[in-house]
Amino acid sequence: MSSTSNSIKIFSGSSHVELAKLVAKRIGIDLSKVVVLKYSNQETSVTIGESVRDEDVFIIQSGCGEINDNLMELLIMINACKTASARRITAVIPCYPYARQDKKDKSRAPISAKLVANMLTVAGANHVITVDLHASQIQGFFNIPVDNLYCEPSMLKYIKTHISEWQNSIIVSPDAGGAKRAASIADRLNLEFALIHKERKKANEVSRMVLVGDVSGKTAILIDDMADTCGTLKMAATTLKERGASKVYAIVAHGILSGKAIDVINDSQLESLVVTNTIPHDDKKAICSKIDTIDISPTLAEAIRRTHNGESVSFLFSHAPE
Amino acid sequence: MRNIVIFGGSSHTELAEQIASRLNVQLGRVKLSKFSNKETNVEIHESVREKDVYIIQSGCGHVNDNLMELLIMISACKIASAAKVTAVIPCFPYARQPDAPYKKNGELLPRIPKDAFIGYTYNTPDSTPANEVKNPFGEQSANGTSSSEISTRSAGGYKHWIARSGTLIANLITCAGADHIITMDLHDPQFQGFFDIPVDNLYGQPLMIKYIKENIPNYQNAVIVSPDAGGAKRATAIADKLHMDFALIHKERRSQIKPHKTDMMLVGEVRDKVCVLIDDIADTSDTITKAAKILSESGAKKICAIITHGIMSGDAIQRIVTSEIDQVIVSDSVPQVDHLAQCSKMGVFSIAPMFAEAIRRIHNGESVSALFSLMDLI
Repeated sequence: MSSTSNSIKIFSGSSHVELAKLVAKRIGIDLSKVVVLKYSNQETSVTIGESVRDEDVFIIQSGCGEINDNLMELLIMINACKTASARRITAVIPCYPYARQDKKDKSRAPISAKLVANMLTVAGANHVITVDLHASQIQGFFNIPVDNLYCEPSMLKYIKTHISEWQNSIIVSPDAGGAKRAASIADRLNLEFALIHKERKKANEVSRMVLVGDVSGKTAILIDDMADTCGTLKMAATTLKERGASKVYAIVAHGILSGKAIDVINDSQLESLVVTNTIPHDDKKAICSKIDTIDISPTLAEAIRRTHNGESVSFLFSHAPE
Repeated sequence: MRNIVIFGGSSHTELAEQIASRLNVQLGRVKLSKFSNKETNVEIHESVREKDVYIIQSGCGHVNDNLMELLIMISACKIASAAKVTAVIPCFPYARQPDAPYKKNGELLPRIPKDAFIGYTYNTPDSTPANEVKNPFGEQSANGTSSSEISTRSAGGYKHWIARSGTLIANLITCAGADHIITMDLHDPQFQGFFDIPVDNLYGQPLMIKYIKENIPNYQNAVIVSPDAGGAKRATAIADKLHMDFALIHKERRSQIKPHKTDMMLVGEVRDKVCVLIDDIADTSDTITKAAKILSESGAKKICAIITHGIMSGDAIQRIVTSEIDQVIVSDSVPQVDHLAQCSKMGVFSIAPMFAEAIRRIHNGESVSALFSLMDLI
């Protein structure tokens, strides 16, 4: 990419440097120099170490860990590049923060996902690239283009290459909300599809899980977009085993794995939990052998390359780059 | 007071309670927490429809968390049909825009240890942002490029671009939906210009004057000292009002060999006098403790510092304890309970009455100017 090396710059925030390095390596350039630090009064400070004047800038920052710190850091980086006369700034946010606060589901509930969208725009982002938004409607919160990439092609690839008995398996959605996502994967693999319905007697308390579909004697593959505290996944795995599933895998786009998630997974009947690296989880992998990773950096790198060159990104919605 | 709802953010609930009780209203019920994935959760349990909403949140502690909480609260009130949302920010975050001292050839002055940036992580140096510049691209940068490569580039004339977040913070607060800002003693008065909405910048000065009159015996013979040239205006204003003498400490960066080493110079006479240092922010309290050293070397009898925002981060308290300074008086724009417990030299004056009066006046559509001078009102 020597012909474009003069007009593309990739910066990494501090949330997920590993992923940024993988992306930059695939594109064939070095990460641009930036230093992010926190002053003793806890304010974030950003110093951009090279000229970005009239450059096409990509800033990779995931919404994980200390979410607010990372978000502020991203905003300050965008703003710094903006005031330093970058031609175009693309925020690459593998895991969009506050994605679940996307509707006014209670009186006076904040729509924080919309606030984040406004903040990114105000800071000066011209374009956003993200992966598997919790609700694709979040794209409508923006007045700038948003490319919502899908993990689906990478997940399909993983299933075909890593689950030997995949032809005798069944795709299961752990809740009604994710049915579409799971059904789409089942269609692509020509597999059967089952759904787990959560009965809630009280809010936030799943009292019973009802399985719709037949899983007996099959390998069940749970598909979801987020694994946070993993309570749902654990219950779903138990339900599936009770109904005769031989093995239960879970493949999830964003492995937030907060709170006691690791204990819950270790304790569960899951064969393995497969997550993408939109969020760093190497430390968690070290204490939980059930976790496996799908590398999403080829998709991000290709999206960046295509965006930079003005090519169509649609290809990536159905294909995982080799 | 009708049609008013006051919410306190989690940064400084005491101050919010004091302000509310002075206004004779109950604080609005709000639940502030964090989800297990560290996203901020705001639940407002009070109707704000067509109400005049005030949200009190200081820029202290975990600044980014508190700022985000404020933004979400503003946004939640706005979409819940509040008539007007005012952000009350006693200590404004990101108010200091770091100045970068450069050498004449455009090279950055190195100020931090070279090994600090080998890893690409947060770093928490115990120095103040103002006038401090870290050499971010030390021996090895994040990407493992060698220093020689970078210095060639620097020689090429590129100045490292340090983000100045002032306008960004102003825009974020505006885009969240705030209609009005109330704050106090902004570090740069120009900051007001970053906003497209009205900003009432209250002054700590009348409270400081009141404190000096009431607590410093024989204050007419004392000297007001500004610890740096930037704060001279603030300090002279107080000296003028109280007809006191004035002195200034000036930082010199003359040495070409060690350009980062500063010489401090005192301009004015302080021998055998009580010195009152005036400043707006004490963060690491490096400035005031250094100033106190100069003053005591120049024969000051007693040294007292009066400061609006006592952020006291890093080892600030330790510095004050070991310093020649006799007393540090700060406002409660930032929670001070912990600081007071750790250091007997610390004292506090309350800004709650001033903010309460400002809120009352703004709510009733009265002038706020009177607060800038007439302290008898409160």
